[in-house]
Amino acid sequence: MAAIADKRSGAYTFLAYVTLVIISIFCLLPFVWMALASVDTNAKLFLKWPDGITFEHYTKVFAEENGVRWFANSLFTVLSATVLVMIISGLGGYALSRSRAWWKQPFLYAILLIRVLPSTALLVPLYKVLLTANIGLGNMLRPITGEYYRTVMQWFGFIDGYLGLIVVLATGQLPLALWIMKIFFDGVPKDYEEAAILDGATLVQRIHRVLIPLALPGLAAAGLFTFMSAWGDFLLPLILLSSPELQTLPIGLFRAFLRVNEIDYGLLAALATIYLIPAVIAFSFARRFLVQTFSGGVKG
Amino acid sequence: MTTPMIQLSGVRKSFGQVGVIQGVDIEVEDGEFSVFVGPSGCGKSTLLRMIAGLETIDGGDLILNGQRINDLPPDQRGIAMVFQSYALYPHMTVAQNIGFSLDLKKVPKAEIAREVGRVSEQLQLSELLDRRPAELSGGQRQRVAIGRAIIKRPRVILFDEPLSNLDAALRVQMRAELQKLHQELRPTIVYVTHDQVEAMTMATRIVVLNKGRVEQWDTPIALYNNPINTFVAGFIGSPRMNLITGTITGDAMVQGFKADAGWVARLDGRSLAGSIGQSVTLGVRPEDIRPVATAAEADLEARVAIVERLGAETYLNVRNGEDTLLVRAQGDLAMTPGTSVQLALNHAAFHLFDQTGAVIAA
Repeated sequence: MAAIADKRSGAYTFLAYVTLVIISIFCLLPFVWMALASVDTNAKLFLKWPDGITFEHYTKVFAEENGVRWFANSLFTVLSATVLVMIISGLGGYALSRSRAWWKQPFLYAILLIRVLPSTALLVPLYKVLLTANIGLGNMLRPITGEYYRTVMQWFGFIDGYLGLIVVLATGQLPLALWIMKIFFDGVPKDYEEAAILDGATLVQRIHRVLIPLALPGLAAAGLFTFMSAWGDFLLPLILLSSPELQTLPIGLFRAFLRVNEIDYGLLAALATIYLIPAVIAFSFARRFLVQTFSGGVKG
Repeated sequence: MTTPMIQLSGVRKSFGQVGVIQGVDIEVEDGEFSVFVGPSGCGKSTLLRMIAGLETIDGGDLILNGQRINDLPPDQRGIAMVFQSYALYPHMTVAQNIGFSLDLKKVPKAEIAREVGRVSEQLQLSELLDRRPAELSGGQRQRVAIGRAIIKRPRVILFDEPLSNLDAALRVQMRAELQKLHQELRPTIVYVTHDQVEAMTMATRIVVLNKGRVEQWDTPIALYNNPINTFVAGFIGSPRMNLITGTITGDAMVQGFKADAGWVARLDGRSLAGSIGQSVTLGVRPEDIRPVATAAEADLEARVAIVERLGAETYLNVRNGEDTLLVRAQGDLAMTPGTSVQLALNHAAFHLFDQTGAVIAA
């Protein structure tokens, strides 16, 4: 009996592995093409072994195109949004976890609703709101800033400005982050705080010395999800930014792809590879925190 | 008369409409090991948290060492607390956990190190100071939690069910360690548990709580020997006391207890002539019932339902009419369920309670 069972399970295992290998290859192929094409002297749209190895596509991204600027813009807006989300979701998640207010559940489901609505559908009204805010802000700032008006608006404007993109990116990611932090704090026993109270910790000390270290895995998870979603967001920077000096990486990639006469697959692949790297780095940093967050709270 | 360390008078607390603590009056002497015991939901943890300052007090006075501290912030009460979960900070080492309260007070590093050294030596934690809580066993964590409490040199240490997360063997060991700690350092301890064995073994005095009120408040042996009502009688002692309903029978000279199931037992050394016909509850501890050979020696006959042979003693679960009685017999008895057994009661160890559950004095 045992031998038959072993043989059968052996065959099943083999089948399972074959299936998994096929799926893995299917998933990996685009990445393989991208990596190969980015160093191919003669990259084409189909998968092929490079004619010769070169890094000129990468240098081209930074030297001929405005790659450094795009990368810096992406990193700045996305990191700012991430930090903003971590601060708000950390404080808000704590409050939502500890509060016994009657509106807690309705509120939590209401913010989830924001997330399930397709953001594209909200784009026009959102644009209208931001535009109005931007005109108001512009009217206020114009007399004060004088010749620096354009620069100031590029930083703090709601349309075609960093602040607008950061705020909208953060708002889009906040519901999920709030949920993550709320659930995370639900798993942090009140005992920790009460022990700190008895030890004489002030509110600031409790947050700084106890709650933040305890919440770090949750914050890392919330931050990572924010970073990855915001990093991958294409529509918002496309709609909200128009100045070339504010362009982010995905927009740069998109515009490079749209050039009709000269589709340079090597350049596109190199650009895409550069675009991937921060997400991969962020994930590898936060991986161990993710496991801790989703396998249940603080162990001590 | 010395001032008690902790004095609660008329202490009350409600959550919404529910009165959780309904007027508690107790005193805890300096150096005493006082245990609050009661079923879950009796308010014992709430009472402890009120002493700690983690819950507000709705009425009455909480007096510590002669000073009313109802409204004093928790950290200024000179009280330390060991939590059920221990609440050791997972991101700090053992040394940092123990020294945290001093660190918050901006005590110089050298002095913190000296104090942590002193405490860790007392608790045999010196080898573990660089470890994190996750790397410690349950017993070690408990000692760290105690270390974090005693480093503050508190006047009172509160324990909130500290042994309930440990396995049975470790619990016995930690009970012994806690007693040793108490004998060596003589702190005033208030300890909350739902486990009456912990209460019996460690307490100098036990406060039995039920539904937010103190049922009885005395030394462990006094509670065991003289429970003032059926609640305390049933709660203190393991296995629990048998409580049998019946009436007082007899004449002016001799009175007896007639169980609803029909059997009758003499009531020695009591004069209950005035209570004949009254409904009462008889309390007999399992160890005060023994199987006997003949019907002549026995008070009642019962049918064996369950036999638990533990070697040194045997627990018999027997049925007589509607009543189920537990018998704790010395030695190993090879009895078969379904057979009948003659049982003799220790008449001198009877407890009698009236219809309200209050004890009828001997």
